[in-house]
Amino acid sequence: MSAVPSSPAAPVDDGRPKPVPGAARDRRLKLAALRLALLVALLAIWQVASLGAPPFVLPSPMRVWEAWTALVASPTFWKDLGVTFERIVTGFALAAVFGVAIGLILGASKTLGEFFEPVLTLITTVSSAIWAIFALIWFGLSNWTTIFVVFMTAMPLILTTVWQGTRTVNADFVELARTFRMSQAQVLAKIYLPTILPLFFSSARLAFGFGARVSLVAETLGASSGVGVRLKQAADLLQTDQVFAWTLTLVALMLALEALVLKPLEARLFRWKKQAEAS
Amino acid sequence: MSVVKVQSVSKWFPRRDGESLHVLQNIDLDVPEKAIVAIVGASGCGKSTLLNIIAGLVKPDRGCVFLNGVKASDFEDWRSLTYMFQEDRLLPWRTAAQNVAFGLEAAGVARPERRERVAETLALVGLSGFADAYPHELSGGMRSRVALARSLVTRPSILLMDEPFSKLDPSIRTQMHDEVLRIKELMGMTIVFVTHDVEEAVVLADKVVVLNPRPGRVRETQEIRLPYPRDPLSPDVAEQARLLRRSL
Repeated sequence: MSAVPSSPAAPVDDGRPKPVPGAARDRRLKLAALRLALLVALLAIWQVASLGAPPFVLPSPMRVWEAWTALVASPTFWKDLGVTFERIVTGFALAAVFGVAIGLILGASKTLGEFFEPVLTLITTVSSAIWAIFALIWFGLSNWTTIFVVFMTAMPLILTTVWQGTRTVNADFVELARTFRMSQAQVLAKIYLPTILPLFFSSARLAFGFGARVSLVAETLGASSGVGVRLKQAADLLQTDQVFAWTLTLVALMLALEALVLKPLEARLFRWKKQAEAS
Repeated sequence: MSVVKVQSVSKWFPRRDGESLHVLQNIDLDVPEKAIVAIVGASGCGKSTLLNIIAGLVKPDRGCVFLNGVKASDFEDWRSLTYMFQEDRLLPWRTAAQNVAFGLEAAGVARPERRERVAETLALVGLSGFADAYPHELSGGMRSRVALARSLVTRPSILLMDEPFSKLDPSIRTQMHDEVLRIKELMGMTIVFVTHDVEEAVVLADKVVVLNPRPGRVRETQEIRLPYPRDPLSPDVAEQARLLRRSL
C-alpha cells in the first residue's frame, strides 16, 4: 500500500475481503424465515395449551386478539399508553443527564470517586420496589412517583458505566488535547464523551428496559392512570385476556423502539467503528 | 534570534523506591529561526522529556526555556507551537478532516474558516480525496499525513516532532521526510525533531544534537552542511551518520 494516493478519488483499498452482496440477502431471508417459524410454533403451543385451561388462567390467542382490538379502540388506551411512556421517558432522560454528568465528574476526580463510591453501592442494592414505596410516601399519587422509581433504577446503571468508561479514555488523546491547550471542558466533550458513548449506549438501552419494567410496578402502587393501573385492574377482575393484550402492546412497543429508533441511531453514531469490529 | 532556547535545564523524576531518577542534566539547546534541529540519542536519554519541557507539558526542575525570546512561563502564544507524536493519535471516531480540524477547535476558529483551512491543509499533505475517510480506512503513511496536517493546520511557527515516522516502512518514511522538507520550505517554521535514527537526523537537520543517557546530557552538537535534498543512500550522508554514531 502506498502512502501517496495515485488519484484523489481512488477508493480506499484496505486489503480486506469484500462481502458478496447476494450472500448477505440470502442470510437475511433465511433469518426471517426462521423467525416466522418460531412465531408460528409459539402460537401453536399457546393455542393447544389454552384448550386445556379455563380462559382466566390462559386465554386462547384468538381471545387475546379480540381483547386487544377492543382495547385499542377504547377511549383511554392511547391516553394510558401515553402517560406511562411519558413517565418512563422523563425518568430515563433525567437518569441519562445526571448519570452522565455525575459519572464524568467522578471519573475525572479520583478523590470524589473514592468518596462517593459507597453511596452508589447503597443506591444499587436498594430494590426498585422499595424505591416505589418511598416514592409513594414522598410524592403520593402523582407522575413523580413513577418517574422517581424509573430514575432511581436507571441512573446508577448509567452512572456506573460512564464512570467505568472514563477509565478507558486513552491518556495519549488527553495529552494531545493538552498540547493544543484545550480547556478541561473541551477535553471532556471532545475526548471523554466520544470514548464513553458506545458504553453509554449499551447501558442506556439496558437502563431504559429496566426503567420501563419497574415503571409498571410503580404505577400499580402509586398512580391513578397508566398501563400499570390498567394491568392491576384487569388482574383484580380476572380479565386475563386484558392482561395479555397489554403485555403484547408493551412488547410490540419495545420492539418498535429498538428497530425504529435505537438500531438506526446506533448505526449512525458508531459508523466509524463498524468495519473495525467486523474484521 | 533563537526561536527555542533551552538554558541549563535539569530534570529529575521521582521513582517508586523514593529515590529520584536524573533524566536531564544541564541541557543547553539553541534553535535558530527556520532551522531544523534534530535531537538524537538512545532510548532512555530523555529526548522525549526534553521535547515535553519545550512544549510546556513538563516543568523543568532547574533552568528555563525561552520561546521566541519569551520565558516559557510567560509565553502565551501556545497556538504557534504544535506537537507531533510517535503514534499518530488520530481520534478513531473522527474522519480525516475532523481530525485535522481538532487543532483549530481549541483555538476557537469559526466553522466556515475552519472548513477552508482544513481543506487547504489536507491538500498540502496530498490527502484531498480522503477528507471523509475514518482512520481505520487509511494506511499507515496516510494516517501519518493526517497527523502532520493536524499539526500544521494552526500554522505554527514551531513544530516539535517526537519520532513521528519511526513506525513507518522505510520507503514511506523517506516520502514523509521529503514532505516535511517541502512544507517547511513553504511555511517556514522552525522544527525540533527527536529521533533515535542517525540517518533520519542527517537527512533532515541543519544541526544535530547528540544526547547521552543516564542522565541525559549533550554529548555533541554537529552542523550538517550538506545541500538539500539529501539522498539517504549517498556517501556524504553515510559519512556524517558514521561520525555521529561514534558519539552515541
